Amino acid sequence: MKEIAALAVIAFAGSFVETAFAQGFRPARPVEVVVHTGPGGGSDLLARAVALMVEREKLLPVRMQVANKTGGGGAVAAAYLAEKRGDQNTIGFFTGVWLTSPLTSKEAKISLRDLTPIARLVLEPAVIAVKADAPYKTLADFVSAAKQNPAQLKQSGGSITSRDNVVRQLLQKHTGARWAFISFPGGGERMAALLGGHVNMMVIEPAEAGEHIRAGNIRVLAQVSDRRLPGFPEVPTLKEAGFNLPAVPQVRGVVAPPGIPKENVAYWEDVFLKLTRSASWRKFLDDNQFEDGYQNAAELAKFYDAFTARMRDILEDAGIKTVR
Amino acid sequence: MQGFAVALQPANLLWCLVGVVLGTVVGILPGLGPPATIAMLLPLTFLMNPAGAMIMLAGIYYGAKYGGSTTSILLNVPGESASVVTCLDGYPMALQGRAGAALGIAAIASFIAGTVGVLGLMLVAPPLAKIALSFSSPEYFALMALGLAMVVLLAGRSMMKALLAMLVGLWIAGIGTDPFSTTSRFTFGRMELLSGVDFVVVAIGVFAIGEVLANMEAREETRLLPVPKGLRNLLPTAQDLKDCRFAFANGSVVGFLIGVLPGAGSTIASFISYGLEKAVSRRRDRFGTGVVEGVAAPEGANNSETGGALVPLLTLGIPGSGTTAVLLAALVLWGFKPGPLFIPENPALFWGLVASMYIGNVMLLVLNLPLVPVFAQVLRAPVFVLYPVIFGISIVGVYSASGSLFDVALLAAFGLLGYVMRKLDYPAAPLILGLVLGAAMERALRQSLMMSEGSLSILVARPISAVMLSLALLILLIPFFTKVNAWRLRALDS
Repeated sequence: MKEIAALAVIAFAGSFVETAFAQGFRPARPVEVVVHTGPGGGSDLLARAVALMVEREKLLPVRMQVANKTGGGGAVAAAYLAEKRGDQNTIGFFTGVWLTSPLTSKEAKISLRDLTPIARLVLEPAVIAVKADAPYKTLADFVSAAKQNPAQLKQSGGSITSRDNVVRQLLQKHTGARWAFISFPGGGERMAALLGGHVNMMVIEPAEAGEHIRAGNIRVLAQVSDRRLPGFPEVPTLKEAGFNLPAVPQVRGVVAPPGIPKENVAYWEDVFLKLTRSASWRKFLDDNQFEDGYQNAAELAKFYDAFTARMRDILEDAGIKTVR
Repeated sequence: MQGFAVALQPANLLWCLVGVVLGTVVGILPGLGPPATIAMLLPLTFLMNPAGAMIMLAGIYYGAKYGGSTTSILLNVPGESASVVTCLDGYPMALQGRAGAALGIAAIASFIAGTVGVLGLMLVAPPLAKIALSFSSPEYFALMALGLAMVVLLAGRSMMKALLAMLVGLWIAGIGTDPFSTTSRFTFGRMELLSGVDFVVVAIGVFAIGEVLANMEAREETRLLPVPKGLRNLLPTAQDLKDCRFAFANGSVVGFLIGVLPGAGSTIASFISYGLEKAVSRRRDRFGTGVVEGVAAPEGANNSETGGALVPLLTLGIPGSGTTAVLLAALVLWGFKPGPLFIPENPALFWGLVASMYIGNVMLLVLNLPLVPVFAQVLRAPVFVLYPVIFGISIVGVYSASGSLFDVALLAAFGLLGYVMRKLDYPAAPLILGLVLGAAMERALRQSLMMSEGSLSILVARPISAVMLSLALLILLIPFFTKVNAWRLRALDS
């Protein structure tokens, strides 16, 4: 009993100190990092890698603990953060799906706009790949083959709101060609469908594509990126291949619950700016062939609007009803 | 040989031991699964050498399959999704005082099949991975249809009730966001249901909570479950081992082959292996009442599945399940490039891993067999202790898997469903079967139809798919043959 009482006193004193020195905010308790995927999912792994780098670079006085709030394509995690209004020891790692789910599902009521933006961290570019023995040598070859055989060629990809399908919709609209999009929930199944010759094309992460190129299994036609990636110096970007389309990267970044003080936002912005300027971060980006996507809170808020507007157009083009 | 040189280094032996012990513990605890454990340990592995780390993480993966059967058999609480089928015969065996035999057989089947799985990984990995690539959506649909046909084998007295239970399972599988059009289905406006109902919640609710509720109703003197005294009576008999001869082989082969397919998984492997065991058994009618093969086949299958699942991961860099996806991420984080060239470029790591899996399986057998009599003592606890413990384990298990109180409420709802089903004599297994296969089957069918522009002929035009669909049809006819046979025998008698 005595210990518990003593702990309570310390905790009370701690909370008092926290409010007294709110100007110079520093998290006093371990920071909970909310992600929408289960252990091993993209956001989960990024959050765990960041926690490790933050520790190695000594950027936080406390530890980061990953909390998996899965479900609803990000909706459950977003709602969890929204409920934590004003909480100073919680942040979340978002992806584009946190913006798209509220567009397509009535139940997903919380959008990124209802949370406090902190920073954008990563842009994940992609490449367009076909099997090595396919007749298409360039993206133009593929598009003209699709035009000659309308709706005969197939692309494997993730969900219909995924970046894979966004690239397809943009290409289809731009060129007038049509091909089928087949959703596979797991990345492994998508790749197996391409390697097994069951589909003709796939939009794939560069790191994953790299090994299959080295083994001579697949060929890359173009890269969905503004600049040529270091791993693919020979492969044209969409624009260079003659398709004047925006490069749609997968984005990842950090948000906080609504209603936190301004100085907290500044504190977190600073932590993540320092992180993205560190050597560990550089290596992490290189290993995964990600691009540095750092944006501060104000830029991130603007990014939401551009992203949402583009997504809404694409969903409507694809014949998917938007609910908001 | 090079592999054993790596695996037998003292440090790697130690990591192997740590991995399999952790795996066993994780397997015993319902809810907490290998993917979560491995993800949590990832930061730690940066301090280790990659061979040791890989050996440890793989140990957790296959070790968990050993532990998963423990709570299934003793408490009717599936420890892992792949151990649901083990409840069907394992728990009745425990009720008959044969918990020790069931646990022992599970360990032995796991050992044999686990070793066969590693042999397969060692000998046929690259060519088999190529063959697995010829499997796509139509073949997966046919495989799921084959699995779903097993329902006629899981039926109790009434085929109608089994089919109804299966339909409820298929319906639950349909809850959530339509994977192709993003429309919400049966979510009742709850965002928690957008990603569907977690299979583990339903399984624990229907099996464990339903069972306890039904038993609590009986207002008789609290009686103890029979646990025989003496070590000899707590282990499988020679007759048990003889009865399981075919189950060991069946579990090993079926589990490995299904494991190699990136789109199937160990739960499906365990169901198909159980169904096959029952289909060819001479005492088919006694399955579900506590026959030892009914434990050996699925427990074997979910272990050799591990070896199979590592085939596409290590030869192609293609993960087929949650756990292999985390292992893939681990390899990338350590600076490896998983893909077609991984084995040729890192032979020491690959062969070290394979060798460590032989050693790990022996360790697991040596660890688990002595634990059997210890675990069997759990059932000595009086029911007024045991039932609250089952409730506690179930709730903690579900909550630890998702961190969601909504799932705990769902657990209660499915517990009630399990209770009602028991009272009205509806079998639970077909419901679980429908739930396991439903989502994957729907996806595979719709993917197939997208590939063929809406023509169903794609399902029969492809040879592998056609063969499996014919097998499914044959299984559906089994009850009919049985009836005809019985009628013929009666006619001969009179």
